[in-house]
Amino acid sequence: MKRLLTGLAVCYGLGIILNGFFRLNFWLILGAAIAVLVWAGLVFRNKYLSLILILFLALLSGCLNLANSARLSKCHIRNFMIYKNNPVYRVSGFIASMPELKNGQQWFTLQTQEVQADKLKYNCCGKLLIKMDFEQALNYGDNLTLTGSLKRLPGFNSSSRSYRDFLARKGIYLIMPVKDSRQIILRSGASGSALIRNCFRLRVYLEQIISRYLPPLPASILSAMVLGQKRNLPRLVNENMVKSGTVHILVVSGFNVGIVAFIADLLLKILRLRRKLRFIVTASCLLVYCLVTGATNPVIRATVMGIIFLSAYFLKRDPDIYNSLMAAALFILAFDPLQLFDIGFQLSFISVLAIVYFYPKFEALICLKNCRIKVLKFIIAGCLVSFSAWLGTVLIIALNFRIIAPVTVLANMIIVPLATLITLCGFTLVLSGLLYPDLAYFFSQPTSVLINLLLNINQALVKLPLAYIYF
Amino acid sequence: MAVKIMLNFTPEERKVALFVLSLGLAGLILNSLAKLNCRISGIVYPQIQLARLNINQVTLAELTRTKCVPEKLAQRIIEYRNLQHEFVSLDELKEVKGVGRKRFEKLKEIFFIE
Repeated sequence: MKRLLTGLAVCYGLGIILNGFFRLNFWLILGAAIAVLVWAGLVFRNKYLSLILILFLALLSGCLNLANSARLSKCHIRNFMIYKNNPVYRVSGFIASMPELKNGQQWFTLQTQEVQADKLKYNCCGKLLIKMDFEQALNYGDNLTLTGSLKRLPGFNSSSRSYRDFLARKGIYLIMPVKDSRQIILRSGASGSALIRNCFRLRVYLEQIISRYLPPLPASILSAMVLGQKRNLPRLVNENMVKSGTVHILVVSGFNVGIVAFIADLLLKILRLRRKLRFIVTASCLLVYCLVTGATNPVIRATVMGIIFLSAYFLKRDPDIYNSLMAAALFILAFDPLQLFDIGFQLSFISVLAIVYFYPKFEALICLKNCRIKVLKFIIAGCLVSFSAWLGTVLIIALNFRIIAPVTVLANMIIVPLATLITLCGFTLVLSGLLYPDLAYFFSQPTSVLINLLLNINQALVKLPLAYIYF
Repeated sequence: MAVKIMLNFTPEERKVALFVLSLGLAGLILNSLAKLNCRISGIVYPQIQLARLNINQVTLAELTRTKCVPEKLAQRIIEYRNLQHEFVSLDELKEVKGVGRKRFEKLKEIFFIE
């Protein structure tokens, strides 16, 4: 089998889907998996049978991983919830996410370590969502003790895309509202990963650089495009981007990861480092960038793909786009199989898969390689990439968001090249802000002009008749 | 020899140098144009209308189309504006029925007053 990783990832994904529908018993699947493993070991010399058994084992692993993720630990905070009389809990732990301010409220997740209810203390684990009605300077890793009531999460709607299900996929089942600053005690020391803590600090610093040189609106858009931070993005801008099908430019994608790899490699080349060392440092830079941007699915996908492309040099093998894409999918799903049901994961992988699959076919169909006018070739190639991505994602978007946007292809043709340029300008601005702040001011103005142009074009496109249809 | 090594750029390095220089040049031109004509800032910086709605001019259809405000609340906001007077401050939104503290924080991000 030429693309074993692709086969493994497909079977593994099928296993997750299978168990998602049928909810098979964990021990039953485990028994079957062990039996298949032994059988595969016994018939190892038989090429085809062992391959089929390996693929079947991947399918069972998918089932098993999903069944395991549904089983909560006995010490999970959810198991300490008492539904009668709404008692007051005292929960200790550390902040496991970057605290975010939304509509005057501060939100973060707490990695719980200890819970006290009715004078009895227990060690516990699991995450808890904290909603604070006031603002307090808090950071990732801060040790806290909170006092308050625990509540189940609201559903908001009954569909499978409810807020409760979304958070359950992240391992969060309970919320603690904190209304008074007396409910919170900040303990000394810091927990969590020092690497993540420093990456968050770097992100805050980079955000400060962007907002130092740009007014609030362009700064919010550039922060979303370069650092993946959408919290300051105006709702109207986001809504217009959804309508034109170009909201994907507001998340960190493979392109950004490619730019980081290119910049790191270029700077190291100037320092005359050896190629192997250069690749190791570049891969480390990609990991740091992945953490800085919050390790969302598109970034993890692109980072894993980037590292595979880099490691292909060490392994002396040609990188295969399908295999690297599937390796990225396997990497994410091995940690969290529930991500397969996440719309962001589906869109991220299907759009790339659609481009990789459809684009060469369309290119061959219209004999694009024979076109001698470079500009025309570039424009047609852009159209085909947009169309391929649209074709791959249109059904998922229509089913989940109840919107069909015929303007998407045209919008992407215009906006994607512009967004590419803005991203390049954004990275230049951030780097110059870090290295030589006086120069950053000159880079900020063309960046702002391009963002202004992007917003105007997007608004004009959305206003076109039948640009989008909600149903 | 030293000059030869110094100018021995790869095509990628040359592209980066060209991009950074053209970006700096564009910034310099915009900066000097802004000194000559104040109107240029309209081209450089995005206008607030691109990110927010003018609460005193927005129509019900426009407001509903944005999907940022529920339909009933949109109706109440327009009714309040038509019956009372034009909004002078965004704080007046609190007087509209159905606008609590949380909702007001959200609405503040959608509207502006000119």
